[in-house]
Formats: sequence, structure tokens, C-alpha cells
Amino acid sequence: MNVNGTAVTGYDAGARLLDVIREHLGLRGTKEGCGVGECGSCTVLLDGEPVCSCLVLAGQAEGREVTTVEGLASCPAGARLREQLVDHQALQCGYCIPGVMVSATAHLSRTEEVTEESVRTAISGNLCRCTGYTKLVSAVLTAASDTGAHS
Amino acid sequence: MSGRILLSAATESAADRLCATARPVAGGTDLLVHGLDAAPVNLVDLSRLAGRRRPVSRLPNGSIRVSATAPLSVITSADVPVPAALADAIAEFASPQIRNRATIGGNIANGSPAADLVPPLVVCDAIVGVRGSGGRRDVPIGDLLVGPGRTTLAPGEWIEYVDLAPVHHSGFRKLGYRRALAIAVVSLAWSWTRPGSGPELADVRLAAGAVAPTVVRCTRAEAALRSLRPDDVGAAARAIQDDITPIDDLRASAHYRAGALAGLVCELPMVAAHRGGKTERL
Repeated sequence: MNVNGTAVTGYDAGARLLDVIREHLGLRGTKEGCGVGECGSCTVLLDGEPVCSCLVLAGQAEGREVTTVEGLASCPAGARLREQLVDHQALQCGYCIPGVMVSATAHLSRTEEVTEESVRTAISGNLCRCTGYTKLVSAVLTAASDTGAHS
Repeated sequence: MSGRILLSAATESAADRLCATARPVAGGTDLLVHGLDAAPVNLVDLSRLAGRRRPVSRLPNGSIRVSATAPLSVITSADVPVPAALADAIAEFASPQIRNRATIGGNIANGSPAADLVPPLVVCDAIVGVRGSGGRRDVPIGDLLVGPGRTTLAPGEWIEYVDLAPVHHSGFRKLGYRRALAIAVVSLAWSWTRPGSGPELADVRLAAGAVAPTVVRCTRAEAALRSLRPDDVGAAARAIQDDITPIDDLRASAHYRAGALAGLVCELPMVAAHRGGKTERL
């Protein structure tokens, strides 16, 4: 598989993608929260689509593109969103943020008309127990208006 | 190392052969929830089969064939629309991340009485395309459902597609604790035709989730729901109590489930009117 554009080999196909990312590759931005697909902390992009990496076997990602939160730095929408999350003080403990960034960046990258409702749906699989989501949603909407996607 | 062997099925016939000695997995969103240690050592990955066929296609007899190995998000973005009841259920299914992996085949095979996709399949008279090294068979959805976590799938069989009868009006509603990632406390799917311009109904089908050991077709309520007039709707809400056998569990009491399902039936006229044909895709 390719992770953030780099070919990766020698991993255990029967392990969880999450464990390959964190342990085999040492990319610790992706977090494990619940481990059962409820919290979204481990969200990564698989061929551009957000998935819970705790529910994907590494072998299922073979030959495919995986993007973790570290890989968003090189993407304009991801960089803008990171700035807005800081400007809006949209995080407290920060544990959910890598997953939120991955879900929201995917939404910004492919949505022509970003609305509050569309943002809330896009991050509905990401639990945040600190912020109450208001500042998170504002940050994503502002990042969208920077890209011209906010209606 | 996990010691687990994951074999990738590149073709349907390869899947037939491999599933004879290993457990099939597609999205994995149920299998891995039970923990990696609980997962079988030998697995066959069916997720790569999805790209070999169109996710949704129209058959010559008018039925809609839906891939059972394609992620749900792929099904709702296909160029052929699925019946509204199934689209409604997919829209409320788990979360975006899960919808990008989970499949209809997995939702059926998992055998949950609260499975979101099964009530829509029941009201669309779904025929399930099952296959394995022993051959292929087409099974009505109701014949696959046995009890919680149990189906009539034989070892080595896997689900390739579901064929849905074209329905004129259909929908699905779920009561859960929140909108995303909620297991149904009660769910109800419906389909019917409107023979005239009035409130009369024909070909009514109702199926309820989380109120019996399997998703159940509610034939007594169907017989009572002759129209969307208040007296017929009230009769259906009473009759549906004899179609179900709810239990108390951590999500709700049996008493609550019975009342909530009656409430969903009573709200059918409002929901049907509110739709105004907008989401009636067939």
C-alpha cells in the first residue's frame, strides 16, 4: 500500500490498518479511541474516502492509497483547516482532532456547497467530548469559505 | 504477527473456492467490532469483488440488482437509484466512515434483529443471491432470517447480490438515541401503491426491526392498513402489536418498543405526505 504517497511493505496483512500505521510505520497522529468504529479517532482516507482504520485489515488496503492526518499537511484544504482550528480554538484535549481533520478535509475537498448541515453530517462519525462541536463546525465552515466552497 | 491469514478473492469463483475453508469478510465493520482476537484465523476478503460489477443495475424484469459486496456509500451514489426505503436506511446507517466500508451482504449475514438494511429489503421482496462452492441459490430474504445472529446461510456460502422488486412508494424510519451511530430501538420500513388519487393503499408491506428475534414482516398490520385514513391507521397500529414479540434490553423495554412502533405507524400519513414524492425514487 501507499501511505501518504510512500510505498509500504513488510506489514502483517492480518493486522488492523490502525496498528500498521501506528506501530509498523510509527505515524502516531492517528489515534485509537474505542477500537470498535464508534468514535472516529482512527479515521484515515482509503483511496480518498474516510474509514475507521480500526475496522480495516491491513491486507484490505494492499495496493491502495492511505492518507493519515500527517499526509494532510501537503493538501491545501487540510492546511487551511488546521489554521482555522487553531484560530477558532476548536480543540481542548485534542484526541479527536486527527480524525475530525481527516473527515472534514475529505468533505472540503469534494463538496461544492459546504453548509453547516453538510459539515455536521461529514463529522457525525467523529466523537468530541470537549468542544460541543460548535467551534469545530465554525472552523470547518471558515476553511470552506477560504476555498470558495462555503455557500 | 497476528498469525491471521487474509486471502483476497479476485473473482467470484475464487471466492466460492476460498470460502469453503475460510470465513468471508467484506467491510469488516461487524467482524472487527468483536475484536481481532475473536475473528477467525482464516479470512477471505470479498471487498475487491465490488469493483467488478456495477453497484446497482436494472434487470430486464424491472427488478433492481444491488451488489452485496459494495460499500453502502457506493450504492447510494450509483447512477441507478435504489428504492427510497433502502436509501433512507443507508442515509441513517452508522456513520460516514462505516458507510464507506459496510455492505448489504454483511448486514444480512450478521443476523441482527435491529439490522437497519433488512426491513427495507423485506418490504421490497428482496431475493438474495447466495453462492459458494456448492453452487448458487436465490433465497427470499425472509427465509434467511432465523434468530439473533443466526441465518440459514450454510458454511462456505457468501452473498453476492440482492434483487429488489420495483416499489412505487417506500420509506424507512428508525428510532435511536442519536442520529449517527445508533442501533435501532425500533425501526419500520414500508412500501405500497396508491391505486387512486385518494388515501387508499394497495400492496402494503410493513417490516419492523428490533421488536422480535428477527426483522419481521407485519402481515396483520398490512391487512389493516387499507388507507391512510385515521381509522385504518389506528387499526394498523393496534394490529401490529400481534405481529411483534419485543423484549426488554439495554436500549429499551418491551413496553416502550411496542408503544414506539405504534407511534411510527400512526405517523405514516404525515411522513408520506411530507415526502410529496420527492424522495420516491421509483
